[in-house]
Amino acid sequence: MSSIPHDATMQTVNPPVIYPGVTYASVTDQVSDVVLKRPFGKAWMAGVGITMLLVMMLTGSIGYLLLKGVGVWGINVPVAWGFAIINFVWWIGIGHAGTFISAMLLLMRQDWRTSINRFAEAMTLFAVACAGMFPLLHLGRYKFFYWLMPYPNSMGLWPQFRSALVWDVFAVSTYGLISLLFWYVGLVPDLATMRDRATNPIVWRIYAILALGWRGASRHWQRYHAAYLLLAGIAAPLVVSVHSIVGMDFAQSLVPGWHSTIFPPYFVAGAIFSGFAMVLTLIIPMRKAFKLENLITLRHVNNCCKLMLVTGMIVAYGYAAEIYMSWYSGSVYESYLSYNRFFGNYAVAFWLLITCNVVIPQLLWFQSIRNNLYLVWTLAIVVNVGMWLERYVIIIISLARDFIPSSWGMYYPTVWDITVFAGTIGFFLLLILMFVRVLPAIAMAETRELVHETHGGTVPMQNMEPRRVR
Amino acid sequence: MHDQNDPIELDEQPLRAWDEFAPDADEMPELADGLTRRSFMQRMAASMALAGLAGAGCNDRPTDEKIVPYVQAPEGVQPGKPVIFASAMPLNGYGKGVLVTSREGRPIKIEGNPQHPSTLGGTDVFLQASILDIYDPARSQTPTRAGTGVDASTFWAALGARLETLSKVDGEGLRFLSGTITSPSLIDLIQSVQRKYPKARWHTYDPMDRANRRAGNVLAFGKPLSVHFDLKPARVILSLDSDFLFDDLASLRYAREFMNARRVRVSQLEMNRLYVAESTFSITGSMADHRLPIRPANVAMLAQAIAAEIGVAGVSAVGLDAASARWVKAVAEDLKSQKGTSLIVVGESQPPVVHALAMAINEALGNLGKTVLLSESTEFGVGDASRSLKSLADDMTGGKVDTLLILGGNPAMNAPAEVDFAGALRAMSTDRQTDDSSSHFTAHLGVYSNETAFLCQWHLPEAHYLEAWGDVRAHDGTATIIQPLISPLYGGQSIAEFLGRLIGQVQANGYEIVRSYWQKAAGTKDFEGWWQATLNTGVVAGSASSLISASCGKPDLSNLQGSANPAAIDIVFRPDYSVWDGTFAGNTWLMECPRPFSKLVWDNAALLDPATATRLGLAGDDVVKVTVRNQSAELPVALLPGLPDGVITLHLGYGRGPRRSNTTDTGLGDTHGVNVYPIRFSDASGFSANVDVARTGKAYKLVRTHNHHAMGGPTTPTTSSGKALKPHAIVTPQTSEAEKEVGNRRLVRVVSLGEFKAQPKIVEELGGEREKRPLLSLYPEWDYSKGYQWGMSIDQTACMGCNACLVACQAENNIPVVGKDQVEKQREMHWIRIDDYFDSASESPLVVHQPVPCQHCENASCEYVCPVGATSHSAEGLNQMTYNRCVGTRYCSNNCAYKVRRFNFFDFNIHRETPQQKMLANPEVTVRTRGVMEKCTYCVQRIQNTRIEAEVALVNIEERIRALSDENQKTAMREEGRKREHEIVEGMQTACQQACPTQAIVFGSILNVGGQPTKVKTLKDEPLDYTLLRELTTKPRTSYMARVRNPNPALEGAHSRGEA
Amino acid sequence: MSAETKAKDQPLFGLAAEFDSPEAIVDAARKVMAAGYSDAEAYTPIAIVELPEILGSKRTYIAPIVGIGALLGAVGGFGMQYFANVIHYPWNIGGRPMNSWPMWIPITFECAILMAGVSGVLSMFALNGLPQPYHPMFRLDSFARASQDRFFLCIESTDPKFDMIETRQLLESLAPMAVMEVPK
Repeated sequence: MSSIPHDATMQTVNPPVIYPGVTYASVTDQVSDVVLKRPFGKAWMAGVGITMLLVMMLTGSIGYLLLKGVGVWGINVPVAWGFAIINFVWWIGIGHAGTFISAMLLLMRQDWRTSINRFAEAMTLFAVACAGMFPLLHLGRYKFFYWLMPYPNSMGLWPQFRSALVWDVFAVSTYGLISLLFWYVGLVPDLATMRDRATNPIVWRIYAILALGWRGASRHWQRYHAAYLLLAGIAAPLVVSVHSIVGMDFAQSLVPGWHSTIFPPYFVAGAIFSGFAMVLTLIIPMRKAFKLENLITLRHVNNCCKLMLVTGMIVAYGYAAEIYMSWYSGSVYESYLSYNRFFGNYAVAFWLLITCNVVIPQLLWFQSIRNNLYLVWTLAIVVNVGMWLERYVIIIISLARDFIPSSWGMYYPTVWDITVFAGTIGFFLLLILMFVRVLPAIAMAETRELVHETHGGTVPMQNMEPRRVR
Repeated sequence: MHDQNDPIELDEQPLRAWDEFAPDADEMPELADGLTRRSFMQRMAASMALAGLAGAGCNDRPTDEKIVPYVQAPEGVQPGKPVIFASAMPLNGYGKGVLVTSREGRPIKIEGNPQHPSTLGGTDVFLQASILDIYDPARSQTPTRAGTGVDASTFWAALGARLETLSKVDGEGLRFLSGTITSPSLIDLIQSVQRKYPKARWHTYDPMDRANRRAGNVLAFGKPLSVHFDLKPARVILSLDSDFLFDDLASLRYAREFMNARRVRVSQLEMNRLYVAESTFSITGSMADHRLPIRPANVAMLAQAIAAEIGVAGVSAVGLDAASARWVKAVAEDLKSQKGTSLIVVGESQPPVVHALAMAINEALGNLGKTVLLSESTEFGVGDASRSLKSLADDMTGGKVDTLLILGGNPAMNAPAEVDFAGALRAMSTDRQTDDSSSHFTAHLGVYSNETAFLCQWHLPEAHYLEAWGDVRAHDGTATIIQPLISPLYGGQSIAEFLGRLIGQVQANGYEIVRSYWQKAAGTKDFEGWWQATLNTGVVAGSASSLISASCGKPDLSNLQGSANPAAIDIVFRPDYSVWDGTFAGNTWLMECPRPFSKLVWDNAALLDPATATRLGLAGDDVVKVTVRNQSAELPVALLPGLPDGVITLHLGYGRGPRRSNTTDTGLGDTHGVNVYPIRFSDASGFSANVDVARTGKAYKLVRTHNHHAMGGPTTPTTSSGKALKPHAIVTPQTSEAEKEVGNRRLVRVVSLGEFKAQPKIVEELGGEREKRPLLSLYPEWDYSKGYQWGMSIDQTACMGCNACLVACQAENNIPVVGKDQVEKQREMHWIRIDDYFDSASESPLVVHQPVPCQHCENASCEYVCPVGATSHSAEGLNQMTYNRCVGTRYCSNNCAYKVRRFNFFDFNIHRETPQQKMLANPEVTVRTRGVMEKCTYCVQRIQNTRIEAEVALVNIEERIRALSDENQKTAMREEGRKREHEIVEGMQTACQQACPTQAIVFGSILNVGGQPTKVKTLKDEPLDYTLLRELTTKPRTSYMARVRNPNPALEGAHSRGEA
Repeated sequence: MSAETKAKDQPLFGLAAEFDSPEAIVDAARKVMAAGYSDAEAYTPIAIVELPEILGSKRTYIAPIVGIGALLGAVGGFGMQYFANVIHYPWNIGGRPMNSWPMWIPITFECAILMAGVSGVLSMFALNGLPQPYHPMFRLDSFARASQDRFFLCIESTDPKFDMIETRQLLESLAPMAVMEVPK
């Protein structure tokens, strides 16, 4: 595969989804070799080392937390929710892009999704894993977390199904499981490919077991597609419901700044917004590192940017609506809340949020900027920060200034708040690094189909390598 | 709960009360070695105590049970049943009657004794918190010589030898030093001591003695009479720098009587009027209808002006600024219109001449004998200069003192600035002769091994008042016999027992001393009956001093002058709202109890008006150096609107320690605050004008429970960054429409009596549109129309913000102390808090105290967000918290609009370390673990007891009805049943309600009980009644009654709150 | 006749032909079926939409199964909440009625989704007879490329019309890259 074009040589005005010269075989070689042939580079090793350290910090902080109690965090009364919940919402949001790409875009027949969906789904799973930690850790009595689930018990007790937190338990666990299934189903044919290309007997065995003996029989393909399409049809409403329910965690309350019907939709938009930001944050370096520019093209980057722009606008509308309602409602508490956001003790956080989520993303209107990978990557980081700040503003400011002034307070995070958060980022990146080395980061089968559809893989195979003979 | 007024109890209490402690009563033969019930109780406690000394953990309980199986419970102590004993708490020599609840021999709760003249059933923070001191592991636990533990016998041997020689010289050089003493039996003992040692001298010193008032009375009447007041008939009251609702001997009584004459109901539209001219901001000041902040030195001028206006003989008018003059005129007019039903009270901080002047005014108004009552003082050796601390110190330095026995108190810490008692004592204690036996003998008897103890050669632990027999007189002379509830936990002895032993009664036994004294004094034939009745009621019948009538001499006003210089800085000394004179400096409940107004905890500060602070270039937490006559103290500054310009308020009693303690996590054991006694001179014990204040450039972090000071008015000062953001919380008819609609939260509603009379619906009007809107809900209403439906009504007119409810709640509900650092993180655990709302930062703001317990909303927002249903609603409308089920998501706290929920961020009960501390816990209330949410339960344990009591009563009635045949009798019986039920249910009180001296809190069923309306129901029907944040449709069961003021029309308008 | 004897001598799974493009195998499959064969199966690295119906596969039954799963999930989810709050452990939460159904919709929905998804995936694997570690086709060396870039068509020996010679001739007539015997 000598002739993989690079960004420099690529056409920047609506670039193709995949580049000419890609064939069934070359896709397979290119993607699977990342896993099977490519040696472990220094950069990768370094990455793993650093993220491992972060994970150690995470486990340490969690240990201390469980030993001492949630008091080690900065939370208090009135601000009884702090970093833990902020991070939870942030991570869950990031996850949403994955499902959105693989499910929504599939249903909308967006062929460009093909080469990034596998990766995005992996990101979803890992993000959900990170998110899942926080609700457990933030419990005063973490050891009783299972009381939030319905299970037979001698007391005949049930969870309190009216609470959005229980909805959350159901939503997030369903989301996690469905995403896993979706991801795995998509993987099966590729696992078969890996099986058939693996040289190392142990590796071969592992892939063989995971592939379940997939042999690509046409009848199998038929059922496979039926199931995959249905799964997509299920995941699409699921992804909407999950962040709606996360939104309801707040909207259900009567806290000024939470008690708002706009929350579900604008949480969903925000989630996808941050999700695409994270996808870009990750694929831009990856496609470079693993020379996948011909499969993950500027087209993908462009489209992600456009989606960010759209969702970003929806989020901006959400902010506007909140401010408008705080005035229109005539409620003392609501109007005070906006006032406090603009000029209060936390005004900095609010204005920073507006800058990151509303102002800066407007640059994405320009093709030139969308094509400048460095800018796009920085911008994605900015949006990630902005979306974290959004949750900070919603949770902290609203709680710190609610109804009765005598109970007002301030929230100051402690070092333990920060280490746990940083730790989960390390955990997330570690999982990503591991993933790209053990599983095909691009869906080979689907890409082959794409090749078939675009320039029907009949192109003569160039410089084929000899096939393994078992 | 057990009710003292319950007739059944009345019959049985005395028997229990005294049988249990009578040494001769021996009805437990099954116990070998002739254990009497009393000594049995003693062993119980003692073994615990020893375990504590041995430092063993809590697992020593089982061994106790092996020693004495509880099956043979002592008579009167039924397991699980509380027993209540009447006693009294002595403070500064005077007693306040209490009822102590004891469980299985452990005193766990203190309430006021309704039959005691000084308390009338109410309590203050000190009564409530004193229960904590008895279990305090920091208490002195063993006799010491030069700091090392010794056996008591060693001490008595040494002292005996000493006394041998002394008795040869009639006790020349033998000196005693104690606090104020009114105890009849003790005075009797002292006299016999003096018979034995004629040349011995007894000194008394008490930083809180009422020297100024006494001296004033000497000026006025020629002799040191004791004065107390009757506020019932008083229609107009003028307080000259007096905090009579807090710091007087009978403050609890005064508060009760004062508020009773202030409650406005549709049926009662009369209320008294209070004028306060004060140099600080006191809770009395916050109750004033017209408050005049004034420099302490100018109070005298004000008094003179008023006297002149009223026409006291020989008093000439003085020049005042226009505003004050107008104020004086109006006040004087008002007073004149109420001859015989008015009252002028002067604060202890004012010099004698002002007291004398006030007496003259009272006489001119014909108040003497009506609102001002005079009687002979009951204090021991009152007004005898030779008995003063100063003379003792002089003799000590002059070498005239050979043996000094300090009985209680802490003079080394709280002696006046000019008396270097500590120095003299140190010199005496360390002065040695060649044979290395000290030439002097100094000993200290004290509950705590305090600063004074450290300076003495010997120290002996003193018994807490709940541990020893004794007696004490109240403000009006009424005597109470102090019953011990438990034998000394740390082997202490009372002063009486000490003296008894000293004069040779080898088996000096407090019980014998007190009993034998009263046997003489009572002079009745049936002494047993008398003794039992007295112990039961908690007051010695007819022991009050007889009132005398006296007339004032002409007050000598020659050397009266105010402070003219407006730039000068004056300081005012006041006893602290939490640690008093330092006596309670080791009490963590009180240390963490938010001080009124400032809401400071764990520290004292230099309280300053914001204006003054800006003038001096000071901000909160700056440390200033206050210098008085070359003595100085450095304290942090705390800003508090409402203080007069140029006046700094300093609270006494801090800077104690270092003190032994194993509960350092709560901050106890470290020094807290700053000791300001070193700048308090005896001739300026109330205030010093013209002091030097310099900023040190240092800063000190003060912690308050209201971090954000934006409590009410538009110009209330806020923390630095929140400047533009001040929510309005107080709404009055004067509040502008615009503000009402935009920014006002209407949490506190204030009306004047006139406005209320003119428009009874005004409180609802103040609620505005929001109040009128119907409460819409998606869901059908829950049915709360049957059975008992609990609710609470809080009268903001009556609440004076004294914190008694807060501490009572802490004691009743096992609420932990979290320590300064945790309070700083806003993690205090108090189930009820008192919000002080300022309507402005002006020099004289209107302040309203609003106690906020759980509101027990019918549509509780905390409940539906709990994922595990740990908080749910009872059929009786209680918002219940199931600790066992709580996983600690804390959503309930977020979603509580009133923020009354408290979370155990750590295991705060870790501080219940020693067995003694564990003994304090109320067995009816769960001790909460880490990670669990908690909140006010309306004292559900008391509710349950009441329901059981009521059910039992009704069942009995039912049985009797079944026995009857005649229909009329049956109906009569049913009627009786209803009455009984009503009586029982109405008898139930929550801890906060029972503690409240002004009865501002009323709890009960909001439905009729037994067919009759309850107190709460009637209050909730009053037009003054409103609920907080009604528009949220939470439907709170706790409702509030608007604050009603009674301003003088002559001072309304610009001076509506007497702004000068 | 002779075919059967041969088949007995060395039991075969079938005869497989290897092609290098989707078009080729689709064309081949048409011809094979036209020739009257019924037991034929294609193995391809990508899904080719036409193949299944050419090879005579009708419907998949996945959709109805998913539908049933969703329905069960929804009923079960709502039923659980109704049972818990109204029948089994009714108790007053914030003055809400026992059957406050609006608050139960989210969980009902999630349960429906969960059941639908799980039943869909499981039924797919079940109907495909997966996992199936062994299959005769795996014995062909070149079959490794069936998951990469080669397309296999196999006529199985169970086909009544199966005959070593004729079948081989037919397959070779389709211009494959190779024709090979698939041992059982």
